[in-house]
Amino acid sequence: MDETVAEYIRRTVLKIPRDEIKTMLQKWGFLSEMQLQTVNFHQLKENISQDVVQLCEENSADIKQAAVLDIIYNHIYPNKRMWSVYQMNKTGEEIEFFDFTDFKKKFKRRLRSALKNVTINFREYEDNAIWIRIAWGTPYTKPNQYKTSYVVYHSQTPYVFLSASVLRSNLPLLCQALVVASNYHDIREVELRSHSLNSLKDIVFKRYSQNFQTYCPRPLSERKVAPESADVRIIQENRNEKERIQRVNREVFGDGPQPKLEFAQYKLETMFKSDPKMDVMYKKEPFRCLVKFSSPHLLESLKSLAPVGMADAPLSPLLTCIPHKARNYFKIREKKGFFPESFVSP
Amino acid sequence: MESVEGAARTLPSIGRLSRGPPFGRAQGRFGLSPSGRLLPPAPRSQENVDPQQTAFLLRKQWTLYSVTPLYRFSGARLRDYGRLLGAFIAAEKQKGLAVEVGVELDIKVAVSSLPDLRGSDQDQAAVLVQLSSRSSASRKNSEEKLLWSGWFCCVSGDDLSERVPEDFTCLPLFLANGAESYTSIVGSWFQKTFDCCFRRLAISPLNLSWMAAMWTGCKVDKTASALELVFSVPSLPQPLDILYAIHPEDAKDLWDTVQKTPGEITQEEVDVFMDCLYSHFHRHFKIRLSATKLVKVSTAIASAHCDGFIKFLQSQYLTGVLMLLTELAISQIQ
Repeated sequence: MDETVAEYIRRTVLKIPRDEIKTMLQKWGFLSEMQLQTVNFHQLKENISQDVVQLCEENSADIKQAAVLDIIYNHIYPNKRMWSVYQMNKTGEEIEFFDFTDFKKKFKRRLRSALKNVTINFREYEDNAIWIRIAWGTPYTKPNQYKTSYVVYHSQTPYVFLSASVLRSNLPLLCQALVVASNYHDIREVELRSHSLNSLKDIVFKRYSQNFQTYCPRPLSERKVAPESADVRIIQENRNEKERIQRVNREVFGDGPQPKLEFAQYKLETMFKSDPKMDVMYKKEPFRCLVKFSSPHLLESLKSLAPVGMADAPLSPLLTCIPHKARNYFKIREKKGFFPESFVSP
Repeated sequence: MESVEGAARTLPSIGRLSRGPPFGRAQGRFGLSPSGRLLPPAPRSQENVDPQQTAFLLRKQWTLYSVTPLYRFSGARLRDYGRLLGAFIAAEKQKGLAVEVGVELDIKVAVSSLPDLRGSDQDQAAVLVQLSSRSSASRKNSEEKLLWSGWFCCVSGDDLSERVPEDFTCLPLFLANGAESYTSIVGSWFQKTFDCCFRRLAISPLNLSWMAAMWTGCKVDKTASALELVFSVPSLPQPLDILYAIHPEDAKDLWDTVQKTPGEITQEEVDVFMDCLYSHFHRHFKIRLSATKLVKVSTAIASAHCDGFIKFLQSQYLTGVLMLLTELAISQIQ
């Protein structure tokens, strides 16, 4: 077995949390159950990985098999990578039957025609998601297994989720191969990025709970705004306002859990307008700024601002439109014409 | 240590100010928000500070401390102090308080003076302490690596130095760069030797807004970088950080329309400037930035963080920023 393959397998196993190693190797299926029995999965990870490499040596593993283990790891832990969203377009409404074999053939052929040194692996999952792993080389060097791009393509949709690696120069080629293989015409990047692959899918496939009015809302009396204190003498001031904020928040954000995004970025090129009381004259050109919101769970964070008094309710549509518009990068310019107060995102 | 006697505070005389660097001295009592800061019209650049000498201070992150006056410190004995500190560090290492585990390091200590870093002749010249390592394995042809730097300074600290008895030296601001363990050892030695006290210097959101306003108004030769403000809302179930970056020309234009009194910046002007930025933000996002915590301000001049970190980016404004920081350090000591 090639020593680079051995090292690659060793490092991949080391990434896996110790309690998960056995299950993942079973999913991989490259080592037999009998072989797995011989490994002590309670020892130090360094030793486990050495034992695994030893067994792979016995089975003469090659890079393609090692790559499959990597796909399995990334499928279970996708949040370690940053994912971008792309959408493909085609003219015409023909609903073609998706032929996986044909897709693979065309994809490989297109990539390899431009770049011989690539490792390409496919794996299909139950939810019609096709995972593609690509390790990139150059015309003169072998593929670098540590610099991989991942593509997740839901064949029933025009959406592709991409975790490109450092080599952005390979991106056009990758996009081209996808378009050709899937019989679309072109592909464009959607301004939406996150570590949480599932949340991106939720947003794009509209799987999060939206604020549909058809949902039967529980009457307000059932939903307590704050725990009632036992002492009847303590009354809540601003109860109406608090309830209004809760209601408006629910309308705008929906009831269910929000998709998990880490940031939203706005490039603002709107006119500066101050409070007339402040007596500040300002120029006629746009006031250029960049605003970036970051949080471990941005939408939940924004949802909690109004109830604590840090924001008005309803919150600005610039923020609440993020899931509907399926984007977290915006460029906001002043809309000219009838409504100088409103904003347009191009 | 004897406490500093509180004498009547005098306002700085105008004569001294006209020599000073571009950032004004605070009028009014320390510890409260200054009602205004005076500014002379043009920035003092190369006359005070040799950019070559101080280039190594730029673009590094410095941790800020306030230091109470040093008892029986002499600017003429810096070499001696270097030796004594070196011996102290070696002794600490012997005791097993290893600063770097598993590495055999000879630590060389250099204590020197930075005479240009001061506001006026009344100020004590800045004192620089540097710890370098020389690997004891190959003593002959090894390179010295700078491990840690720290410097004491006082820029326009007359309000403190005027009120302090003879035996005390005022160097209220201390800046450190390098491993915390070294800062701790050096700090302990100074505390023991000069009977002083180090405290981390935090920068309040109020003072950060001052810095944002003042630094936005400064002229810079090269293309300026954006005015960046970072706000934090840690107390939410999911914490939120907001970066608000304004194009430097637009920020300066806004400040220029707000800043009306020539030669002086007032609290009111700073408030109006910040309120303008907050209201522009609110118009778009309906979020009240004034209810959040301003934690970091960054401009082409310098960047400052509320936990007491500073980065100097322009040598021509170095003493100006130091003057502001000296003021903050002094107000923490009182």
